[in-house]
Amino acid sequence: MIVCYKWPHNREESPEEEMSLALPLFLQTIEDTGFSTWLRESESPFAFYFILLFHTFGLALLVGANMVVDLRLLGFARGIPLAPLKRLFSIMWIGLAMNAVTGILLVIAYPTKSLTNIDFYVKLTLIGFAVWVMQRLQSQVFGEASLSEEAMTARGVALAKWSLVLWFGAITAGRLLAYTYKYLTFP
Amino acid sequence: MNFVQLHLLLNHFPIIGTMVGLGLLLISLSGKNDDLRRASLIIFLAMALLSIPTFFSGPGAEGAIKKLPGISDDLIERHHGAAMLALLFMEFTGALALTALWKSRGISRPARWNGIMSAVLLFSIVTVGLMARVGNTGGDIRHPEIASQKQGVTEELMISKIIYTFEPSPDKFAELMTASKWWWAFMMDLHFVGLVMLIGTVGILDLRVLGFAKQIPIDPLHRLLPFAMAGFALNLVTGVLAFTGMDKYYTYDWAFWFKMLAILLLGVNVAAFYLTSAFDSVEHMGPGDDAPPLAKFIAATSLFLWFAVITLGRYIQSFSDTISVHK
Repeated sequence: MIVCYKWPHNREESPEEEMSLALPLFLQTIEDTGFSTWLRESESPFAFYFILLFHTFGLALLVGANMVVDLRLLGFARGIPLAPLKRLFSIMWIGLAMNAVTGILLVIAYPTKSLTNIDFYVKLTLIGFAVWVMQRLQSQVFGEASLSEEAMTARGVALAKWSLVLWFGAITAGRLLAYTYKYLTFP
Repeated sequence: MNFVQLHLLLNHFPIIGTMVGLGLLLISLSGKNDDLRRASLIIFLAMALLSIPTFFSGPGAEGAIKKLPGISDDLIERHHGAAMLALLFMEFTGALALTALWKSRGISRPARWNGIMSAVLLFSIVTVGLMARVGNTGGDIRHPEIASQKQGVTEELMISKIIYTFEPSPDKFAELMTASKWWWAFMMDLHFVGLVMLIGTVGILDLRVLGFAKQIPIDPLHRLLPFAMAGFALNLVTGVLAFTGMDKYYTYDWAFWFKMLAILLLGVNVAAFYLTSAFDSVEHMGPGDDAPPLAKFIAATSLFLWFAVITLGRYIQSFSDTISVHK
């Protein structure tokens, strides 16, 4: 029989413990690799904290730029002409790319911690929706050069509101990861 | 330089600086002197910023002298509680001063007397009073020649006793901050939201000054700055609350102190922007205009320092226990 899963504790000894799912062994496989171990345990400032730092930079770029567009569409700082804000989308995509790469590295460093935490999936879902809204903003509102500012605003107001809500949710879900995980490493 | 020296150096600013600010504000009342009025607002803002590292250097100073003979823990706690209350009013005064400065920016709009100025006056008077009490209670810790404690009995004026009821107990406050991990998570979450509000708005303004997206005129970007101020205020509050919860943890951490230094340098940078020709030269820049070198330098410094703040903040966890306890 091929062993693919492992129970996190000795079930026979403590049957009254809370219900938990068996953990797939591939999590341990990833954690045992040299790279994952180095990321997690190295004292070098270029290991885990470095990756986490660039994850923060990426989020500052992505959500910061998106927030400026959203606020303008919602009517703040009306003096800013809408059309040139299209340039901000390149900053947003760079931020997203940085976070995708650093995010994968963070999951490699702590696969059990992230992949067994439901909050992590909530975060990914919120990000997925937020990026979908961002892409719609780029194509529907800023995609057609011939639109007037009124038309752009009309198309963009609802998207802008959802964008702010979704990004706030994603940041919250991300921040709570440090407080909601069940296993730091494979038990 | 150790924590005691740092604390004794910095504490002059919130105590004496606020008196100078209040003095200038009162003098400006007599004649319609906008320059003096604006100067007093700038001083209140600067003192509000400097009060933060002053407050933060306290626990380190406490750690250095706690075990010495003749030092009373009760007197230290009394001073600490007084400092917390004074800091609260100091920050309110600074926030009001910032609002008043923002509303009166530009030479065409003088600092008129209005509701905000009345609030600044009221809060600054209370702050000066509370800061005097902080100074007194601080002196009591180590200056037997001026101590109000005679033969172990603390003599206090009635007004001091009244103020004392409003002062928080530092130990209880610290417990409150760290009692629930969800409260801590909430504070950290708000800290990130604040940083995004700050970087988004300040960042786009800095980038435009540096020449990115030249189709955008500067003035409307500048109008987004209240969001940056709100973000900064959010982070100041959550930051101070986090510090009070775990003061020894942050005190003995190099990354934390460099982060505070970066924020102070940002304050200097902001002053340079508004008090030199830089702001005037960019305020009315339209699409296609290029900013002069001084403004670009200030904008580049701003971007660099904010990313330094994020970096140092992220590395606080990594750098814990990097300062020797014996300092």
